[in-house]
Amino acid sequence: MSRLIRNDAFRFVLLSVMITVTVYAVNAEHGARIAETVYGTFAEVFDIIVAVSIFIGLFQVWVKPAAIVKLLGKGSGYKGVALVCIFPIMMGGSLFTIFPLLKILRDMGARMGAIASFITAWGGKAPLLPLEITFLGWRFALLRIGFVVLFAFLMGILVDRVCEPST
Amino acid sequence: MRGGTVYLLIAIALLAISFVKDRQRTRDALKATFKIFYVVLPVLIFVFVLMGLIQVYIPKEMIVSVLGQKAGPRGILFSEVMGSIALFLPPAVFPFGGYLLQNGASYGAIAGFVFTAILIGITTLPLEIKLLGLRFTAARNILTFVLAFFISLLMEVILT
Repeated sequence: MSRLIRNDAFRFVLLSVMITVTVYAVNAEHGARIAETVYGTFAEVFDIIVAVSIFIGLFQVWVKPAAIVKLLGKGSGYKGVALVCIFPIMMGGSLFTIFPLLKILRDMGARMGAIASFITAWGGKAPLLPLEITFLGWRFALLRIGFVVLFAFLMGILVDRVCEPST
Repeated sequence: MRGGTVYLLIAIALLAISFVKDRQRTRDALKATFKIFYVVLPVLIFVFVLMGLIQVYIPKEMIVSVLGQKAGPRGILFSEVMGSIALFLPPAVFPFGGYLLQNGASYGAIAGFVFTAILIGITTLPLEIKLLGLRFTAARNILTFVLAFFISLLMEVILT
């Protein structure tokens, strides 16, 4: 797995260099503009990316998935719904990393709606807030995260309707 | 002080607290941090090149007409399709969204892009189907697309 990631990292950089060089070969001015965009944006986000990586690392060790599963497995009724619509906002990771966790939740008897709410709330992405505020503004960021809770709640209701028989 | 510096200071303060509470965990956290940094950085570089390509080859007027305020609901739909097929790691979504915003895309279109880029992924569909079933996967992805549309529309109205 780590070898695969290493390859991916290498591939993305290689592809980036190849595209830039190709454009530069066709039109030097265009190539220079791409290089400027890459450098300018990079300089703008570098310290934020470092900070965000630290946030995610800390979340990973202090908030164990097993603890989350335990928390949500117990929570039923309003408390469970609130937990599942708000708590995952704080988590990091990509879709690839949370699907296996959700499978465990499902096997423990969570409803399909709760699973859907979990994924949607996880899309809130609080650890990435520094990036979001920098690029899209704090009004956008706060409004979006607020709506994520509503979004997660509605998803839960609707997915239960479609996927859970006789409820 | 720059925003980035502030975030960095907060991160370092949290690290210090974590270190005082539990050294081994903090070491694990730093390991995870390096790994994340290592995975995310190349993807970001690629996205920045993509942004450069757009700047060079796609005229600003086109972004405005496809994703701008005048495009209205159509612009949101378009950005949602873009987000659904984009293979972006979540940290790359915001710089790219900010770039589109600066170049004339509307808040609603950006919201549509952000929601779908994070929540819908063509590459993760097989895994989702395998672990949670076809019915759930279909329902979740379609409903996400539809609800993201209405919420983005609301955000557009509130923010502009």
